[in-house]
Amino acid sequence: MAPMPQAVLEAAAVAKRYGGIAALEDGALSLGRGEVHVLLGSNGSGKSTLCKIIAGAVRPDAGRLRFGERRGFFSDPAAAQAAGIATVYQETGLAPTLSVADNVLLGQEPVGRLGRIRRDRMGARLARIYERVGGLAEGIDPRALVMDLGIDRRQIVEIMKALSHDPEVIIFDESTSSLDRRQVEAFFGLVGGLRDAGASIVFISHRMEEIFAIGDRVSVMRNGSTVAVRDVAATSREELIELMIGGAVGGQPDRPPGRDRGDVLLRVAGLDAGKARGAVLDLHRGEILGLGGLHGQGQSDLLLGIYGGLKRTAGEVAAGEAAVPPGRPDAALTSGIVYVSGDRGRAGALTGRPILENLVIGMLSKERPSLVDLAGMRGRVRPIIERMQLRFGALSDAIETLSGGNQQKVVIGRGLATGPRILLLDDPTKGVDVEAKRDLFGLLRELCDEGLGVILYSSETGELIENADRVLVFNSGRIVGEILHGKLSEYSLNAAALRTEGADA
Amino acid sequence: MPEAAQERARPGAWVRDSPWLLAAVLLVAFAILNAAIQANFFTPFSLALNVTTVLPLMLIAVGQTYVVLGGSIDLSLGAIVSLVNVVAVEIITALGTGPGAIGAGLVAGLATGLACGMLNGLIVSLFRLPPIVTTFATGVIFGGLALIVLPQAGGSLPPAYYLVYAQGFLGLTLPIWLVVLLIGGVWLVGGTRFNRHLLAVGSNRQAAFQTGLPVRRIVFASHAAAGLLAAMAALCILGVAGAGDPLMGQAFTLGSVSAVVLGGTALAGGWGGPAGSILGACILVLINNIIFFANIDFVYQSVVQSAIILAALAAGVFASRRRR
Repeated sequence: MAPMPQAVLEAAAVAKRYGGIAALEDGALSLGRGEVHVLLGSNGSGKSTLCKIIAGAVRPDAGRLRFGERRGFFSDPAAAQAAGIATVYQETGLAPTLSVADNVLLGQEPVGRLGRIRRDRMGARLARIYERVGGLAEGIDPRALVMDLGIDRRQIVEIMKALSHDPEVIIFDESTSSLDRRQVEAFFGLVGGLRDAGASIVFISHRMEEIFAIGDRVSVMRNGSTVAVRDVAATSREELIELMIGGAVGGQPDRPPGRDRGDVLLRVAGLDAGKARGAVLDLHRGEILGLGGLHGQGQSDLLLGIYGGLKRTAGEVAAGEAAVPPGRPDAALTSGIVYVSGDRGRAGALTGRPILENLVIGMLSKERPSLVDLAGMRGRVRPIIERMQLRFGALSDAIETLSGGNQQKVVIGRGLATGPRILLLDDPTKGVDVEAKRDLFGLLRELCDEGLGVILYSSETGELIENADRVLVFNSGRIVGEILHGKLSEYSLNAAALRTEGADA
Repeated sequence: MPEAAQERARPGAWVRDSPWLLAAVLLVAFAILNAAIQANFFTPFSLALNVTTVLPLMLIAVGQTYVVLGGSIDLSLGAIVSLVNVVAVEIITALGTGPGAIGAGLVAGLATGLACGMLNGLIVSLFRLPPIVTTFATGVIFGGLALIVLPQAGGSLPPAYYLVYAQGFLGLTLPIWLVVLLIGGVWLVGGTRFNRHLLAVGSNRQAAFQTGLPVRRIVFASHAAAGLLAAMAALCILGVAGAGDPLMGQAFTLGSVSAVVLGGTALAGGWGGPAGSILGACILVLINNIIFFANIDFVYQSVVQSAIILAALAAGVFASRRRR
């Protein structure tokens, strides 16, 4: 597809590596003047990285950027903003203790004599922004403190703040994910108005229906590269999903149905925790239950909510007959529930401590012995080490001496050493090598055959397809679909991830 | 679906939005208590004396407030007071007794305080070292320098210095006028863009940076201002003491943090203001008065004072936890 001649912004061959991992290999975007351009792609396809680079928040390793007559990347967000590119991020960049008005006009306050802010002129500017945002800002008191607003309204304030600069290009990074239906409609009205006024809009979305509702063109990204650009009017859902997964949809053979389910180990009823809303699920004995969907749709919050690491605002959790109390990880551990975070650095490895200590700390917190018998513990972790096929020098070596994959084995082994009945894995293979992954999932399958139940959240669809018995797909905090073993495929998972209505596949 | 948004018309929201309110209530309570045990409390003489006593702490607490609002803290302010105190005395003593000597001493003192504050600001904002450790360390240096300049309390100022300080102008003493000036200055700064940006930096540094605010310059300026205000406090103390003392400032570091906390400013930054700290400084002086007039042994002063501060801090923290 030829780039539009009147493109206001063009990025090409943009690359960015973090450590050894390529976040972006060949990112490209050609943004026409006065169009709504949707960026579509599954987890890790590089769409957020590309946007951050355009907005000056991340420095690229290679590539080209042209914005109007200006060539070259922006050195920082302020420079991009001054040039006319505004970005609305998901994670809010607001000052919570300041009012809505002060946040929207932060840094642009009109000043009079002695550097004092002219409240009267500020009110006039604010009124203009309110007018422009229209129904979306309805009911938001400019005097209210941002910390008193719900996440939906914070997102709207963020949008108002971005618009206060009269930007030529606006990047919306999943701005609709925290809005309700009525707010989304108002938001679409706003976006349409901005487009008609000549602004160019980049819109990252994870809802298929939204692409067709407001998009003019769509760029599809896969594995760090922009692989296709389509006119929205001339494409279909099926084509977009095919482009996302890089293969044909047709001819996917049905897989054998999953194995018979055992009795229910864990029952979750109407759980609200963090982003997760109204989650209902049963985990059966011997089952690996996958959680799918795009990253950050409430999967981790659900797992933490079950375990007690995150506040439950509604709902019940029961392990077998016994209720699992909220906010008590120690009680969860006693009832046989173990949570393993994929974020080794922040929530997993005790860095600087020996491998042995890292392995036994879970047992210690469950059993609370008054004296620690390290020699006895060493004997007890031996079978786990063997089954995990841990590769290490000596158990007294610090955990950093291990490779990433083996560190993660230690963190999971710590949980397994407590003899759990239910294992909650929160994206456990991030930065883990292929071999360690194979060892890990091989062991999980063995343990499941012995009666363990596993809930596995993974940001890699392939991992879910290979290992899960069935998958619950999340969008915007809700479970929007259940895909049984026989129907698991790249296509079914990606299609469900972009859906917003709860319906079984 | 959306979070319930009921930010408007919440009963009692104005109580939460006025962080100085607790301090105002405490101030009235302590004033009544003080008047009950000190018969002449509400006489002009006694009130003027109290204003003279509270002024240095007020100045330091206002400076500390600006630093704290921006998300930093300055534990060297007491030491800056000591250093300015002895530098001014030594320079005036060296140059003689004329108005020129006094002028030179005042300027040198203010410059010293400003330089100390700028050094703190530079380290904290440019090198991003943690302010608690940084200013604790620079405080030890400033305090050490004060002992080098004047190892023992002494030196004497020309009488003109403290006579003018005690004199009345238009029916009020100079310290009272200085308090009026301070309040006016605080009010002026409160309406500026700088103040707003300072709050934003303390509230969410990352957001402030993304918005394009000069975060480093703002933090630097707050430290510099605190140094300058501490210097003014030191010069006021000289107007009463009439002689130099290298250990003069020691108590003021905790005192200033206490006044800030009592005044409702959040130590985490981004919330509160100097008006509360001015009230907080008054409360601390009243507490000392009460301890004195109630014939409580003076050695209990720090214990009682700190216990009251701890209680006020707890009240503030619990209030903000309920907030969300």
